[in-house]
Amino acid sequence: MSITLDIKYAARLLHKKPVFTALTIFIVAIGLGLTLYTYSLLSNLVFKPLLLNKDTPIISIEAEFNQSHLFRIGIDPHDLLTIRNEMDSIDELGVYQERTSLIGNTQNNSVTRKYNSVNIEWNVFDFAGVKPIMGRGLKAEDHFEGAEPVIVLGYDIWQHYFMAEEDIVGSVVLADAIPTRVVGIMPQGFAFPMTAQAWLPIKQELLSPTDWSRDGLFAYARLKKEVPFEVFQQELALLNKKVVKSLPDNVRWRMDDFEGYLRAVPYKKANITQFYSIFITMAVVVLLILLLACINVGNLLLARVNERFKEVAIRVALGVPRNRLILQMLLESIFICTVGGFLSVLIAGWGLELSNTVFEQMYMATEQKPFWWQVSLDADAILLLIASVIAMIAITGFIPAWRALSGDFNAVLRDGTRGSQGKKAARASQILVISEILLSCVVLVIATILLSTSYSAGQADYGVDTNNRITATIELPVVDYPIREEGEFELADTLKRTAFYYQLKDSLEQMPNIEGVAFMSQLPGTGAGASYFEIEGRVAAVYNENPYSNNEVVSRDAWQAIGMRVIQGRDFSLDDISAEVDTIIINESISNDFFPDGDAIGQRVRRAFRNPDPDREGGWQTIVGVVSDTYHGSAMRTSSEQYSSYFMLDHIGYSSIDVAIHYNGSQAEAEKSLQHAINQVNNNATVYNIQSYDELISQPMILVSAISKVFLLCGVIAVFLAASGIYAVAANSISQRTQEIGVRRALGASDSKVMQLFMKKALWQLIIGLSIGITLSLWVVNQMTDTMVINQASYLVGLIAIPLLIIIIVLVATYVPTRKVVLMEPSDALHHD
Amino acid sequence: MKNNNITNTIKTNHTDNNGQALVLLKDIKKVFFTDDVETHAINDINLIINKGEYLSITGPSGCGKSTLLSLLGLLDTSSSGSYTLAGHDVSDLNRDERSAIRNKEIGFIFQAFNLISDLTVAENVELPLTYRSDINSEQRAKMVKSALEKVDMLHRAHHFPSQLSGGQQQRVAVARAISAKPAIILADEPTGNLDSKNAQIVMALLDQLHQEGATICMVTHDPRSAARAERMIEVFDGKIVADQRTETPTAIAV
Repeated sequence: MSITLDIKYAARLLHKKPVFTALTIFIVAIGLGLTLYTYSLLSNLVFKPLLLNKDTPIISIEAEFNQSHLFRIGIDPHDLLTIRNEMDSIDELGVYQERTSLIGNTQNNSVTRKYNSVNIEWNVFDFAGVKPIMGRGLKAEDHFEGAEPVIVLGYDIWQHYFMAEEDIVGSVVLADAIPTRVVGIMPQGFAFPMTAQAWLPIKQELLSPTDWSRDGLFAYARLKKEVPFEVFQQELALLNKKVVKSLPDNVRWRMDDFEGYLRAVPYKKANITQFYSIFITMAVVVLLILLLACINVGNLLLARVNERFKEVAIRVALGVPRNRLILQMLLESIFICTVGGFLSVLIAGWGLELSNTVFEQMYMATEQKPFWWQVSLDADAILLLIASVIAMIAITGFIPAWRALSGDFNAVLRDGTRGSQGKKAARASQILVISEILLSCVVLVIATILLSTSYSAGQADYGVDTNNRITATIELPVVDYPIREEGEFELADTLKRTAFYYQLKDSLEQMPNIEGVAFMSQLPGTGAGASYFEIEGRVAAVYNENPYSNNEVVSRDAWQAIGMRVIQGRDFSLDDISAEVDTIIINESISNDFFPDGDAIGQRVRRAFRNPDPDREGGWQTIVGVVSDTYHGSAMRTSSEQYSSYFMLDHIGYSSIDVAIHYNGSQAEAEKSLQHAINQVNNNATVYNIQSYDELISQPMILVSAISKVFLLCGVIAVFLAASGIYAVAANSISQRTQEIGVRRALGASDSKVMQLFMKKALWQLIIGLSIGITLSLWVVNQMTDTMVINQASYLVGLIAIPLLIIIIVLVATYVPTRKVVLMEPSDALHHD
Repeated sequence: MKNNNITNTIKTNHTDNNGQALVLLKDIKKVFFTDDVETHAINDINLIINKGEYLSITGPSGCGKSTLLSLLGLLDTSSSGSYTLAGHDVSDLNRDERSAIRNKEIGFIFQAFNLISDLTVAENVELPLTYRSDINSEQRAKMVKSALEKVDMLHRAHHFPSQLSGGQQQRVAVARAISAKPAIILADEPTGNLDSKNAQIVMALLDQLHQEGATICMVTHDPRSAARAERMIEVFDGKIVADQRTETPTAIAV
């Protein structure tokens, strides 16, 4: 008997049962497709180190992540210099500040455009191993004070803004209204450190500072080849202790509550710190799905072997060698897993295309998509697929092969039946069912909790009216609106910037399609700074036992434009500018919780510091108003505090601020009005990130909600796999026990007694599977809470609805096949083959 | 041996012996339908089995003797006709009622023993008793002990079927059949899977049970086993074609 005959036989069997064949291929394709997709996604976005033409990974050195508002924080240039000087493990290091630049053309006085730019150390291009396609990169002397301002342009700016001018290198353009010489053009696609479209030299004073400052820098670095990343992290942790101790009081705000400050992270991971746990959870869930798929296919094949047991027994009687029998059992797995593997490539490819679209959508307004966020199937993914297919063949083929080898063929041939289910086979069936319950429970609980949380976050009330509102960010040109910290200029500069905003507000509000304009440092729905505050007369002994609030800077007469209300007291007024008393407005939650008698107005609060001057007396701000509550930051986190304090724009006058515009008519007209008004006030000012308020709020949720959809898909697949798998295991196990049921019936067991027997067993399997499954799910969900706050309702849905669903699935999956066998006449059951 | 030469379907050639009829089958038919084919497995059978009788049913393969035994054991229902067991009409009982009758009134011995491999010998014997609410655990233990003693298998009470020989397994099956003291024991080829020595032991057990008053109905291919019964019925094409009484059953002669 040649092997070809075995192959033909396997093909004939698969052809004979098209539904079985299609179902198993589908399960394999889904399991492998999800695995391939997730691997490619996570590998591109997180795990595959960023190498950029060299063989040592790039790492990021920065301050501890702001968990409260989910953003990265830079390190004081002074402390970066310490790292540079004291850490021998670092091979290469450079520092940068990400920003936006208004690029313009000096010749034709055309409209400037905002681009992502970076003030960066000259070594960046050598570090990345990329040379400009025209001109040169940056030089060390470009940093020096008095050096001619220079810029290296990205390929897209050159192509689209400067229309691919051939003599662009050497020409002078405007960068934030400063005449700047273009010294080079970078190749297409190059955007290191992350989203850069233009590179400018960082100021020398930031590279070699003599003292601490308020500046924050990020560093890119490569370690020496012989230094493992973990060792470097330990060294950095030691240095962190030293640096933290040396921080002067006025910059101790840089460290977090646990004295954390300096951290090193793999470069890609640094960019997705807030999503890292979700990605890891996703990987776990997908692995569980793959395992579930393996068990299902293995089990379906096992059921097939049971059907073919007599045939196997005859083969054994005819003297089939052991290896040949195993191969015979593996052939079907090989075919199913191979075809499923091919289909999985299509599924994964489709998923990755979809993900690329989501990323585009996510960063459409801000153009902040990191350059490596372009996912596709690569050679590693295909290798993983091949390995997975082989593993799957082994797993799915092993179960039926084991069954085929462990049967009592003598009994089968002698009795002409399949024989009763042995103890081992029965235990294997139980383990399969418990595994299915456990795995599907974990997948479904996680998927449900995540979905439910992201759904409620999507439905969250931010306390603002987003209808007919557009939002944007306005940036003032430094040339026209300088920021000088010297006492004599500071106030004048602030007033000048503030004047711009109020002129813009007046100009807009005179337009018939504009109802109102609000400026705020960060609009509700997005994050901003937060700090502890003290209430006069009730100062806590330790600074961080004081309440914590979001701090926002807001223009006068802003509330109505975004649907907020003044509940008590008044809004900021012109009198507050020159008043001797600093004023502040608090939100309703602060008022209710700390001034329940409604006596908030006139009370004084001030910011709390970690190490305040013991003789500190001043800094108090008098509450003049109470406004309605809003929600700052993503609703995925409740750490976006419920308390908010508002400071008057006129006192601070940021050079970049968010604006919300309430309009009537069309959004496009409102956007035109905004642009027109800005040009009227100062056409060097730039407006960007123009979008509807709803889009602004949904932006931080796009990735989470996209991942939630992947989880939903996983959940649906898990339900399908669990239902079909548990049914198949139960049906197979019960079919194996048909004769036993016949015996029990012959001995007088009633239908209900037999049903009880099997249902009781199913209940035990449920108790074991669900207990482990729920415990495991809770542990996994707990790991996600540093990324998002899971609400109570989600827990309820996940921990009650899902176990209930699984209980129903298992009971139905047990009841249906048991009932089928029980309904057989005992005489038929006894002679069941 | 007295032969009754019967050419036609025997209606009821044994009479109710002074109201001692345990089984009374009247015009029983069993028809199987497979696709378009209609198979008459049992065709107008009439039969009386009296209390304490030892009856063997013989016939060629496929003649319907096992089907007849299934009908007698309420493992299957007839297509038509009536069946009275111990004075009760059991023709139209529902599934659970039939289960209850099987449990109390009928003991089965199968060719393939049909012991449950995951239960010990004692548990297998106890199994039919556990389906009854009128017997407590103490009583069950006594009944199991008594049944196992009767078949000389008490010393293997805690073994699993796989640890026993075929003959021992069948003796356990006999113990299980008699544990609930049924009205009738139905044996389907009880020696079919046994060697001659073990077959002899099992047949001797049945003889002993009969002598103690049990009613036994046995299907067998083996003429020697059949000859041990006091009454032999021959089935052919779904009909009883011979019903004869053996004056000196072989067992006694052995």
